[in-house]
Amino acid sequence: MKSRERVGIAEFRVVRYPGILISYGLGSCLGIALYDSYRQQGGLAHSLLPGSCPPGFSGRPAKFVEGAIRSMFVELLAAGSEPRHLTAKLAGGANMFASPNAVEEDNIGSRNVRTGREILNQLGIALVAEDVGGRHGRTIEFDLATGALQVRSLRLGELII
Amino acid sequence: MTLKPLSARQLDALREVSNIGMGHAATALSQLIGETVELHVPCISVAEIVRIPALLGRAEDLFAGITLQIFGEARGIILLLFPQQSAQQLLIRLLGRPADEPICDELSSSTLKEIGNILASAYLSALGNLLHMSLIPSIPLLAYDMLGAVADRVLIELSREEDLALLVETEFHGRAPTEEVIRGHFLILPDADTLDVIFDAANVGYEK
Repeated sequence: MKSRERVGIAEFRVVRYPGILISYGLGSCLGIALYDSYRQQGGLAHSLLPGSCPPGFSGRPAKFVEGAIRSMFVELLAAGSEPRHLTAKLAGGANMFASPNAVEEDNIGSRNVRTGREILNQLGIALVAEDVGGRHGRTIEFDLATGALQVRSLRLGELII
Repeated sequence: MTLKPLSARQLDALREVSNIGMGHAATALSQLIGETVELHVPCISVAEIVRIPALLGRAEDLFAGITLQIFGEARGIILLLFPQQSAQQLLIRLLGRPADEPICDELSSSTLKEIGNILASAYLSALGNLLHMSLIPSIPLLAYDMLGAVADRVLIELSREEDLALLVETEFHGRAPTEEVIRGHFLILPDADTLDVIFDAANVGYEK
Protein backbone atom coordinates (compact mmCIF):
# COMPACT_ATOMS: atom_id res chain seq x y z
CA MET A 1 0.00 0.00 0.00
CA LYS A 2 1.49 3.28 -1.06
CA SER A 3 1.14 6.13 1.35
CA ARG A 4 -0.50 9.24 -0.06
CA GLU A 5 0.50 12.51 1.46
CA ARG A 6 -1.34 15.71 0.88
CA VAL A 7 0.55 18.88 0.04
CA GLY A 8 -1.48 21.94 1.03
CA ILE A 9 -1.22 25.52 -0.17
CA ALA A 10 2.21 27.05 0.50
CA GLU A 11 3.58 23.66 1.52
CA PHE A 12 6.12 21.27 0.09
CA ARG A 13 7.07 17.67 0.86
CA VAL A 14 10.05 15.58 -0.08
CA VAL A 15 9.61 11.80 0.08
CA ARG A 16 11.04 8.53 -1.28
CA TYR A 17 9.52 5.61 -3.14
CA PRO A 18 6.96 4.14 -2.40
CA GLY A 19 5.05 7.33 -1.85
CA ILE A 20 2.47 9.43 -3.63
CA LEU A 21 2.18 13.15 -3.15
CA ILE A 22 -1.06 14.87 -3.99
CA SER A 23 -2.18 18.47 -4.20
CA TYR A 24 -5.82 19.43 -4.75
CA GLY A 25 -7.46 22.23 -6.69
CA LEU A 26 -4.68 24.38 -8.08
CA GLY A 27 -5.89 27.46 -9.92
CA SER A 28 -3.32 30.18 -10.48
CA CYS A 29 -1.15 28.39 -7.97
CA LEU A 30 1.78 26.46 -9.37
CA GLY A 31 2.52 22.81 -8.63
CA ILE A 32 6.21 21.96 -8.90
CA ALA A 33 7.46 18.37 -8.94
CA LEU A 34 11.15 17.58 -8.67
CA TYR A 35 12.29 14.00 -9.27
CA ASP A 36 15.45 11.96 -8.95
CA SER A 37 14.88 8.71 -10.85
CA TYR A 38 18.17 7.23 -9.62
CA ARG A 39 17.14 7.33 -6.00
CA GLN A 40 13.37 7.32 -6.65
CA GLN A 41 12.86 10.33 -4.47
CA GLY A 42 11.38 13.71 -5.11
CA GLY A 43 9.32 16.59 -3.89
CA LEU A 44 6.07 18.34 -4.63
CA ALA A 45 5.21 21.96 -3.83
CA HIS A 46 2.02 24.02 -4.09
CA SER A 47 3.04 27.68 -4.43
CA LEU A 48 0.99 30.86 -4.51
CA LEU A 49 3.21 33.68 -5.61
CA PRO A 50 5.86 34.55 -8.16
CA GLY A 51 9.08 36.21 -7.06
CA SER A 52 11.25 35.36 -4.11
CA CYS A 53 10.77 35.56 -0.37
CA PRO A 54 11.24 39.14 0.84
CA PRO A 55 14.25 39.71 3.15
CA GLY A 56 13.45 38.76 6.73
CA PHE A 57 10.48 36.64 5.62
CA SER A 58 9.79 34.09 8.32
CA GLY A 59 6.65 32.42 6.96
CA ARG A 60 6.34 29.36 4.75
CA PRO A 61 9.04 29.40 2.07
CA ALA A 62 6.82 27.44 -0.32
CA LYS A 63 4.39 30.36 -0.50
CA PHE A 64 6.77 31.66 -3.18
CA VAL A 65 7.71 29.67 -6.26
CA GLU A 66 11.39 30.41 -5.76
CA GLY A 67 11.31 29.45 -2.07
CA ALA A 68 9.53 26.20 -2.90
CA ILE A 69 12.01 25.11 -5.57
CA ARG A 70 15.07 26.06 -3.56
CA SER A 71 13.79 24.38 -0.39
CA MET A 72 13.05 21.13 -2.20
CA PHE A 73 16.41 21.32 -4.00
CA VAL A 74 18.28 21.66 -0.69
CA GLU A 75 16.33 18.80 0.91
CA LEU A 76 16.88 16.51 -2.04
CA LEU A 77 20.62 17.16 -2.04
CA ALA A 78 20.69 16.51 1.70
CA ALA A 79 18.89 13.22 1.00
CA GLY A 80 21.68 12.22 -1.36
CA SER A 81 20.48 13.38 -4.77
CA GLU A 82 22.91 14.79 -7.27
CA PRO A 83 21.77 18.01 -8.98
CA ARG A 84 22.31 16.55 -12.47
CA HIS A 85 19.92 13.69 -11.74
CA LEU A 86 17.03 16.01 -10.94
CA THR A 87 14.22 16.71 -13.39
CA ALA A 88 11.19 18.94 -12.98
CA LYS A 89 7.56 19.08 -14.03
CA LEU A 90 5.18 22.01 -13.66
CA ALA A 91 1.38 22.09 -13.52
CA GLY A 92 -1.12 24.83 -12.75
CA GLY A 93 -0.64 28.55 -13.26
CA ALA A 94 -4.09 29.00 -14.78
CA ASN A 95 -5.99 32.24 -15.07
CA MET A 96 -9.28 31.33 -13.43
CA PHE A 97 -11.15 34.60 -13.70
CA ALA A 98 -11.23 35.81 -17.28
CA SER A 99 -11.09 39.57 -17.24
CA PRO A 100 -12.00 41.45 -20.42
CA ASN A 101 -9.15 43.93 -20.34
CA ALA A 102 -6.32 42.05 -18.68
CA VAL A 103 -3.05 41.30 -20.43
CA GLU A 104 -2.50 37.55 -20.45
CA GLU A 105 1.23 37.68 -19.58
CA ASP A 106 0.54 39.84 -16.53
CA ASN A 107 -1.72 37.45 -14.68
CA ILE A 108 -0.41 35.73 -11.58
CA GLY A 109 -0.68 32.25 -13.04
CA SER A 110 1.56 33.09 -16.01
CA ARG A 111 4.02 34.88 -13.76
CA ASN A 112 4.18 31.87 -11.45
CA VAL A 113 5.00 29.68 -14.45
CA ARG A 114 7.67 32.10 -15.71
CA THR A 115 9.30 32.29 -12.29
CA GLY A 116 9.28 28.49 -12.05
CA ARG A 117 11.05 28.09 -15.39
CA GLU A 118 13.62 30.74 -14.49
CA ILE A 119 14.56 29.27 -11.12
CA LEU A 120 14.80 25.73 -12.54
CA ASN A 121 17.05 27.09 -15.23
CA GLN A 122 19.26 28.86 -12.67
CA LEU A 123 19.65 25.64 -10.69
CA GLY A 124 20.35 23.62 -13.83
CA ILE A 125 17.31 21.37 -13.34
CA ALA A 126 15.83 20.12 -16.62
CA LEU A 127 12.17 20.93 -17.10
CA VAL A 128 10.90 17.75 -18.76
CA ALA A 129 7.14 18.36 -18.91
CA GLU A 130 4.48 20.88 -18.06
CA ASP A 131 0.74 21.37 -18.20
CA VAL A 132 0.21 25.02 -17.40
CA GLY A 133 -2.03 27.99 -18.14
CA GLY A 134 -5.57 27.83 -19.43
CA ARG A 135 -8.67 28.63 -17.43
CA HIS A 136 -9.18 25.45 -15.44
CA GLY A 137 -8.32 24.10 -12.03
CA ARG A 138 -6.09 21.05 -11.61
CA THR A 139 -5.45 18.35 -9.04
CA ILE A 140 -2.03 16.75 -9.29
CA GLU A 141 -0.76 13.41 -8.11
CA PHE A 142 2.95 12.63 -8.14
CA ASP A 143 4.05 8.99 -8.09
CA LEU A 144 7.56 8.58 -6.67
CA ALA A 145 7.89 5.10 -8.16
CA THR A 146 7.95 6.43 -11.72
CA GLY A 147 8.08 10.21 -11.50
CA ALA A 148 4.77 10.37 -13.37
CA LEU A 149 2.65 13.41 -12.64
CA GLN A 150 -1.06 12.85 -13.09
CA VAL A 151 -3.06 16.00 -13.78
CA ARG A 152 -6.83 15.92 -13.31
CA SER A 153 -9.30 18.62 -14.22
CA LEU A 154 -13.08 18.68 -14.16
CA ARG A 155 -13.43 19.78 -17.75
CA LEU A 156 -10.52 18.13 -19.52
CA GLY A 157 -10.25 14.88 -17.59
CA GLU A 158 -7.00 13.15 -16.86
CA LEU A 159 -3.55 13.58 -18.27
CA ILE A 160 -0.22 12.06 -17.33
CA ILE A 161 2.91 14.06 -17.93
CA MET B 1 1.28 45.88 7.33
CA THR B 2 0.03 43.21 9.67
CA LEU B 3 -3.31 42.56 11.28
CA LYS B 4 -3.51 43.81 14.83
CA PRO B 5 -5.56 41.84 17.32
CA LEU B 6 -9.13 43.09 17.41
CA SER B 7 -10.93 44.08 20.57
CA ALA B 8 -14.35 42.70 21.50
CA ARG B 9 -15.95 46.05 20.61
CA GLN B 10 -14.32 46.05 17.21
CA LEU B 11 -15.47 42.51 16.52
CA ASP B 12 -18.99 43.51 17.53
CA ALA B 13 -18.90 46.54 15.28
CA LEU B 14 -17.68 44.49 12.39
CA ARG B 15 -20.27 41.80 12.95
CA GLU B 16 -23.00 44.41 13.16
CA VAL B 17 -22.09 46.29 9.97
CA SER B 18 -21.64 43.01 8.14
CA ASN B 19 -24.94 41.70 9.40
CA ILE B 20 -26.74 44.75 8.09
CA GLY B 21 -24.83 44.71 4.80
CA MET B 22 -25.41 41.04 4.21
CA GLY B 23 -29.04 41.44 5.23
CA HIS B 24 -29.43 43.86 2.34
CA ALA B 25 -27.71 41.43 0.03
CA ALA B 26 -30.05 38.64 1.15
CA THR B 27 -33.07 40.86 0.51
CA ALA B 28 -31.78 41.56 -2.97
CA LEU B 29 -31.37 37.83 -3.59
CA SER B 30 -34.81 37.04 -2.25
CA GLN B 31 -36.38 39.61 -4.60
CA LEU B 32 -34.50 38.05 -7.45
CA ILE B 33 -35.53 34.47 -6.86
CA GLY B 34 -38.92 35.28 -5.31
CA GLU B 35 -38.57 33.42 -2.05
CA THR B 36 -37.45 34.05 1.50
CA VAL B 37 -33.70 33.95 1.96
CA GLU B 38 -32.35 33.15 5.38
CA LEU B 39 -29.04 34.37 6.55
CA HIS B 40 -26.74 33.15 9.29
CA VAL B 41 -25.22 35.75 11.59
CA PRO B 42 -21.89 36.53 9.96
CA CYS B 43 -18.94 34.72 11.39
CA ILE B 44 -15.80 36.78 11.76
CA SER B 45 -12.47 35.09 12.00
CA VAL B 46 -8.82 35.74 11.48
CA ALA B 47 -7.42 32.86 9.49
CA GLU B 48 -4.12 31.99 7.95
CA ILE B 49 -4.68 32.77 4.28
CA VAL B 50 -3.43 29.43 3.07
CA ARG B 51 -5.99 27.65 5.27
CA ILE B 52 -9.04 29.51 3.93
CA PRO B 53 -9.93 27.12 1.07
CA ALA B 54 -10.02 24.20 3.48
CA LEU B 55 -12.48 26.13 5.67
CA LEU B 56 -14.85 26.48 2.73
CA GLY B 57 -15.20 22.88 1.64
CA ARG B 58 -13.55 20.13 -0.36
CA ALA B 59 -10.95 21.49 -2.78
CA GLU B 60 -12.15 19.42 -5.73
CA ASP B 61 -15.87 20.13 -5.49
CA LEU B 62 -17.42 22.10 -8.32
CA PHE B 63 -18.28 25.69 -7.42
CA ALA B 64 -19.28 28.89 -9.15
CA GLY B 65 -17.19 31.73 -7.75
CA ILE B 66 -17.87 35.38 -8.42
CA THR B 67 -15.30 37.88 -7.26
CA LEU B 68 -15.37 41.67 -7.10
CA GLN B 69 -12.90 44.15 -5.79
CA ILE B 70 -14.01 46.88 -3.45
CA PHE B 71 -12.87 50.35 -4.48
CA GLY B 72 -13.32 53.68 -2.75
CA GLU B 73 -12.41 54.72 0.75
CA ALA B 74 -12.07 51.12 1.88
CA ARG B 75 -10.56 48.32 -0.15
CA GLY B 76 -10.84 44.60 -0.21
CA ILE B 77 -12.23 41.62 -2.03
CA ILE B 78 -15.64 40.05 -2.11
CA LEU B 79 -15.99 36.40 -3.04
CA LEU B 80 -19.32 34.72 -3.53
CA LEU B 81 -19.36 30.96 -3.80
CA PHE B 82 -22.22 28.76 -4.91
CA PRO B 83 -21.93 24.99 -4.96
CA GLN B 84 -22.72 23.63 -8.42
CA GLN B 85 -26.25 22.50 -7.54
CA SER B 86 -27.14 25.86 -6.06
CA ALA B 87 -25.74 27.73 -9.05
CA GLN B 88 -27.82 25.43 -11.23
CA GLN B 89 -30.93 26.15 -9.11
CA LEU B 90 -30.40 29.90 -9.34
CA LEU B 91 -30.28 29.63 -13.12
CA ILE B 92 -33.34 27.40 -13.25
CA ARG B 93 -35.34 29.91 -11.25
CA LEU B 94 -34.06 33.04 -12.92
CA LEU B 95 -33.99 31.83 -16.49
CA GLY B 96 -36.67 29.16 -16.30
CA ARG B 97 -34.43 26.68 -18.02
CA PRO B 98 -34.27 22.89 -17.78
CA ALA B 99 -32.19 21.41 -14.99
CA ASP B 100 -29.81 19.43 -17.17
CA GLU B 101 -28.49 22.36 -19.16
CA PRO B 102 -24.76 23.08 -18.69
CA ILE B 103 -23.64 26.20 -16.85
CA CYS B 104 -20.80 27.21 -19.12
CA ASP B 105 -22.69 29.20 -21.76
CA GLU B 106 -22.69 32.97 -22.10
CA LEU B 107 -26.16 33.52 -20.67
CA SER B 108 -25.43 31.50 -17.51
CA SER B 109 -22.12 33.28 -16.97
CA SER B 110 -23.61 36.74 -17.28
CA THR B 111 -26.51 35.78 -15.06
CA LEU B 112 -24.23 34.50 -12.31
CA LYS B 113 -22.01 37.57 -12.60
CA GLU B 114 -25.05 39.79 -12.37
CA ILE B 115 -26.18 37.98 -9.21
CA GLY B 116 -22.73 38.65 -7.77
CA ASN B 117 -22.99 42.26 -8.78
CA ILE B 118 -26.40 42.72 -7.19
CA LEU B 119 -25.42 41.06 -3.92
CA ALA B 120 -22.11 42.89 -3.66
CA SER B 121 -23.66 46.25 -4.50
CA ALA B 122 -26.40 45.74 -1.92
CA TYR B 123 -23.82 44.87 0.69
CA LEU B 124 -21.49 47.74 -0.15
CA SER B 125 -24.17 50.39 -0.35
CA ALA B 126 -25.51 49.37 3.08
CA LEU B 127 -22.01 49.32 4.52
CA GLY B 128 -21.19 52.65 2.88
CA ASN B 129 -24.34 54.32 4.20
CA LEU B 130 -23.63 53.08 7.67
CA LEU B 131 -20.05 54.25 7.67
CA HIS B 132 -20.55 57.36 5.52
CA MET B 133 -18.13 56.10 2.94
CA SER B 134 -18.41 55.64 -0.73
CA LEU B 135 -17.69 52.03 -1.67
CA ILE B 136 -17.80 50.87 -5.26
CA PRO B 137 -17.66 47.32 -6.56
CA SER B 138 -15.52 46.50 -9.58
CA ILE B 139 -16.98 44.52 -12.46
CA PRO B 140 -17.66 40.93 -11.39
CA LEU B 141 -15.46 38.08 -12.61
CA LEU B 142 -16.63 34.50 -12.73
CA ALA B 143 -14.98 31.11 -12.48
CA TYR B 144 -16.75 27.77 -12.53
CA ASP B 145 -14.40 25.04 -11.41
CA MET B 146 -12.81 23.24 -8.45
CA LEU B 147 -13.29 25.14 -5.20
CA GLY B 148 -9.57 25.29 -4.46
CA ALA B 149 -8.82 26.73 -7.88
CA VAL B 150 -11.65 29.25 -7.69
CA ALA B 151 -10.51 30.47 -4.29
CA ASP B 152 -6.76 30.62 -4.80
CA ARG B 153 -6.71 33.60 -7.15
CA VAL B 154 -8.41 35.68 -4.49
CA LEU B 155 -6.06 34.51 -1.76
CA ILE B 156 -3.09 35.36 -3.91
CA GLU B 157 -4.23 38.99 -4.03
CA LEU B 158 -4.15 39.15 -0.26
CA SER B 159 -1.16 37.01 0.47
CA ARG B 160 1.34 39.30 -1.20
CA GLU B 161 1.70 41.30 1.99
CA GLU B 162 -0.17 39.30 4.57
CA ASP B 163 -0.14 35.85 6.03
CA LEU B 164 -3.38 36.34 7.90
CA ALA B 165 -6.69 37.59 6.62
CA LEU B 166 -9.83 38.78 8.28
CA LEU B 167 -12.69 36.76 6.98
CA VAL B 168 -16.31 37.81 7.28
CA GLU B 169 -18.39 34.92 6.15
CA THR B 170 -22.01 34.01 6.06
CA GLU B 171 -24.06 31.24 4.62
CA PHE B 172 -27.48 31.93 3.23
CA HIS B 173 -30.14 29.67 1.87
CA GLY B 174 -33.41 30.14 0.10
CA ARG B 175 -36.36 28.23 1.49
CA ALA B 176 -39.33 27.79 -0.73
CA PRO B 177 -40.88 24.65 0.73
CA THR B 178 -41.31 22.98 -2.63
CA GLU B 179 -37.99 23.88 -4.15
CA GLU B 180 -34.44 22.72 -3.69
CA VAL B 181 -32.36 24.66 -1.21
CA ILE B 182 -29.96 27.27 -2.53
CA ARG B 183 -26.81 27.73 -0.51
CA GLY B 184 -23.98 30.13 -0.84
CA HIS B 185 -21.00 31.61 0.94
CA PHE B 186 -20.45 35.34 1.04
CA LEU B 187 -16.88 36.29 1.96
CA ILE B 188 -15.44 39.71 2.56
CA LEU B 189 -11.72 40.02 2.83
CA PRO B 190 -10.76 43.60 3.66
CA ASP B 191 -7.22 44.89 3.26
CA ALA B 192 -5.48 45.34 6.58
CA ASP B 193 -5.28 49.13 6.05
CA THR B 194 -8.95 49.21 5.31
CA LEU B 195 -9.84 47.84 8.72
CA ASP B 196 -8.52 51.01 10.33
CA VAL B 197 -10.72 53.07 8.04
CA ILE B 198 -13.77 50.99 8.92
CA PHE B 199 -13.11 51.22 12.66
CA ASP B 200 -12.53 54.96 12.49
CA ALA B 201 -15.82 55.39 10.70
CA ALA B 202 -17.63 53.10 13.15
CA ASN B 203 -15.98 54.97 15.99
CA VAL B 204 -14.22 52.04 17.54
CA GLY B 205 -10.49 52.61 17.46
CA TYR B 206 -7.80 50.25 18.59
CA GLU B 207 -7.35 50.12 22.33
CA LYS B 208 -4.39 52.12 23.49
